[in-house]
Amino acid sequence: MEEIRMNTSILVIGGGWSGIKVACELVDSGYRVILIEDSTTLGGNALFTHLVSSSRDQLSSLMYKVRDHEAVEVLVSTRLVFMTGVPGDFRVWLEQEGTVLERAAGAVVVALEAEAVSLLSAYGLQPAENVLSQSQVEAELASPGESEQFSGDTSKDVLFLVGLQQEGSPLVMERAIRSASEIQTLERCQAKVLVGNVKVAEHGLESLYTQSRNRGIIYFKVKDPPKIKQDGSSLQIDVFDSVLNRDVKLTPDMVVVEDAFQPHPDAARVSRVLGIGTDSEGFFQQNNVYYLPIRTNREGIFVIGSARQPRNLKHGWTDVENTVLEVRHLLGEGKKLVPIETAKVHRAKCTICLTCVRVCPHGAIYWDNRAIISPVACQGCGICASECPMDAIQLVNYTDDQMEAQMLASIEKEVEAPQIITFCCQNSAHEAGQMARLFGSTLPEGLQMIKVPCAGKVDVDYILTAFEAGADGVLVLACHKDNCKSQQGNTFAEWRVEDAGRMLEEIGLEKERVHFATVASNMPVEFVRITSEMEDTLKRLGPSRIKKQAAA
Amino acid sequence: MNESSHNEASKKVLVIGGGIAGLTAAYELARLNLDVDLVEKSSFLGGHAIQFCCKADDECQKCGACTVEKRLLEVIQEERVKVCLRSELTGMNRNSRFSYTLSLRPLHIDPKKCTNCGICLEKCPADGAIVRGYSKNNVPLYAIDENHCLYFKDKSCKLCQDVCPEKAVTLDQGDSEASGETDAIVVASGFKAYDPVDKPWYRYNINKNVLTALELERMLREKGEVLRPSDNKVPERIAFIQCIGSREPKLQHGFCSQVCCGYAMRMAQAISHRYPKIKATIFYMDIQNCGKDFSNFYRKCRDNIHFVRFTPSDVCQGEGDQLILRYLDEKDGHVVEEVFDMVVLSVGIMPGSSNAGLADMLKIDLDEHGFFASADPLDGTPTSQQGIFLAGTAQAPKDIADSMAHAGQAARRVAQYLGVMPCPK
Repeated sequence: MEEIRMNTSILVIGGGWSGIKVACELVDSGYRVILIEDSTTLGGNALFTHLVSSSRDQLSSLMYKVRDHEAVEVLVSTRLVFMTGVPGDFRVWLEQEGTVLERAAGAVVVALEAEAVSLLSAYGLQPAENVLSQSQVEAELASPGESEQFSGDTSKDVLFLVGLQQEGSPLVMERAIRSASEIQTLERCQAKVLVGNVKVAEHGLESLYTQSRNRGIIYFKVKDPPKIKQDGSSLQIDVFDSVLNRDVKLTPDMVVVEDAFQPHPDAARVSRVLGIGTDSEGFFQQNNVYYLPIRTNREGIFVIGSARQPRNLKHGWTDVENTVLEVRHLLGEGKKLVPIETAKVHRAKCTICLTCVRVCPHGAIYWDNRAIISPVACQGCGICASECPMDAIQLVNYTDDQMEAQMLASIEKEVEAPQIITFCCQNSAHEAGQMARLFGSTLPEGLQMIKVPCAGKVDVDYILTAFEAGADGVLVLACHKDNCKSQQGNTFAEWRVEDAGRMLEEIGLEKERVHFATVASNMPVEFVRITSEMEDTLKRLGPSRIKKQAAA
Repeated sequence: MNESSHNEASKKVLVIGGGIAGLTAAYELARLNLDVDLVEKSSFLGGHAIQFCCKADDECQKCGACTVEKRLLEVIQEERVKVCLRSELTGMNRNSRFSYTLSLRPLHIDPKKCTNCGICLEKCPADGAIVRGYSKNNVPLYAIDENHCLYFKDKSCKLCQDVCPEKAVTLDQGDSEASGETDAIVVASGFKAYDPVDKPWYRYNINKNVLTALELERMLREKGEVLRPSDNKVPERIAFIQCIGSREPKLQHGFCSQVCCGYAMRMAQAISHRYPKIKATIFYMDIQNCGKDFSNFYRKCRDNIHFVRFTPSDVCQGEGDQLILRYLDEKDGHVVEEVFDMVVLSVGIMPGSSNAGLADMLKIDLDEHGFFASADPLDGTPTSQQGIFLAGTAQAPKDIADSMAHAGQAARRVAQYLGVMPCPK
């Protein structure tokens, strides 16, 4: 082990409320913060008029703190353009109105808020005085004195459209319920809501929904988007009501249309600069349970709040607290004990082809006169070691020699049962296999489990060596798709099994002798099923010809 | 309680409840170099979530069940966490620290001697008297359930004690008490699943093929198969009925349990993938979201699963253990009668049965539904008592991911309260 210095400054990208909160919490824990915001002001777009006054006071004091605290550097009109380095030692280049600023940080927290986008055009509506987006109606209601729509005592019938041109979420629902409730309390105003699924899966939201109905708001739960006719200021909505079982015609004075939440406009670019993944909707953080709540594929880079999923402020702040814990474990008091090497690069063999740099899912490899693997960032998956065309990388605890020795030692030559060398990912298959044994399940007699840190460690050489060692069949067992702790280790493993299968055919061995399957750590019964099916296949195929030749 | 092995100078935290929230709080506190006493009332750590199955179809469905396994393994390997099974809090006094008393029911199977051979379970004549934990990480793996054990009924059987090769079983042990002191408390006592016995029109406990979702989870985890309890055959048509016990103001349950739509959809998907011939139908009020990227997931589900927006009011007996559900067609309101071979009741997350007692002892409040109340609208962890924090479903319904995040937040709050977050120079 060695002790390395860790930079105790943290770069926070995004000055919305989650960014502000994480900055304050980090300085309370003794760290320094560089808070960058691409617009000209901090605070984001949310109005939060519904927060009780004590919470609004909390927000005000956070704003003062972040502006005044000597450990916080606030940079507005600033965005991240480039980053290098490893956790504890990131170098970032920022751009502020044409000037480039260089900074260093030990960790990065992404708090780039999701953007609320109007769905007016999705509903076939044109913006008008009486056709507003959710954000617009919130702004109108927030300043009642200045509002043209809601001042005086004209009676108004206001129809909200929610969850009919998007699936929606509790956040979308809550905004509609709150604004509708405010309108309902105005004299001679009636709020109605046309809704797909009423999203109430948040603390207190069912109560809010029930109260709004008790106030007189009428909800129509419908399946299909309504037909809307907008003619000047006249609005006609035709919708099928499944309770009345007939078409209903509504002629509201005003329509309010839901917003959709989309990733921050700069999310794609920033995720590329940082080398972190996004989910299929473009929000930061891949959809992988191992990253929850705030981790990413890269150590030292965290994502909080609506940057990863649009939810209410309470959830964003839960993310903040978890981030502080992770930062504390990573950066400590400025020093960290790390193993000297988890993966070792052989200087003479490395040709700086940069394959390892490209395949590392954790951004842990950089280069100088050879590839260099950061012991802080390396998560020991072994994908680099198995991809390296020169075999220049060895995982310290899983060297090729060790693996080969294990394979040779595992084969039971005297036994008739088919010998199945089974590479088991330590996060999934190995746990399931151990559980199956412990529970006394019947496993194939010739099952030889070999633990690997990630299925991505298994390279084609291992599979072929296993057959040379005397295996009748080889199983490579990995985590399910999207469940790999190293994101793509299971994918690499599957490709290699396919390659190995082709090679087996070329040398006259049946390709069913090598098989890739996925299994979860908590399903020993699945482990038993997969291994038993393999045993049946191998019994049908008979012993491996390579084994017979070696014996001869 | 072995107090001397704790570092005397370290601060201590008591975590009440060994489910996923309690395990996560304990783990995070230990990582911060705090000594943790984790008190669990049942014989096994893991709470409800350790009983859940993996719901992958051709890919991970992000249910989080495997993360519970991982967290349990991390906790049992963590030296700073001392686990006390079969214990419950009986009293608490606050002075400069918190002094508390625990009742301890005996561990009839000694974890230090037990080798997990399973002979006791194999030989035991009484059904349910010896139970096995859900995970290999449950230590000890076996436990005796006094409610079914013949020895505890009339001392008529001591077979397990006699056959155990390691002499690890001691039946004649009484309850005991223990006391301790701690500097902060995390309440992570979990929830109670709604018991549909209170709604006899669903025929739960009357027709064998009506199960709760929790029972389906256990079946899938243990057997990897879906089998009708009545004849052990694979069903052809399964119905899930949502919102059983949830969103019901009349029952004081005016809340959404948040997890049921997610688990029903994931289980229906996993089952359809494994058995393409099974037709699954989900009867719902409003579909709730689960996890990231929900709209894609929901779209994928609608390709395989039949969604009916109607809550059937009865489960009727059909021919030979089959079940009939009636609903109104969404298009024209006519009555549809459908036959199913299995009905799964998506039961909700209800306040734990010990909540009222614990709230009383700790002098903290419950909310209008019976969950522990948080004292801050923007933070679900602090209570009205300084130094006592909430984690997980004890505070409100939430899924595995949110329970873990909430527990992490509670751990941070404890660290702040105890003044142990160090400042770098």
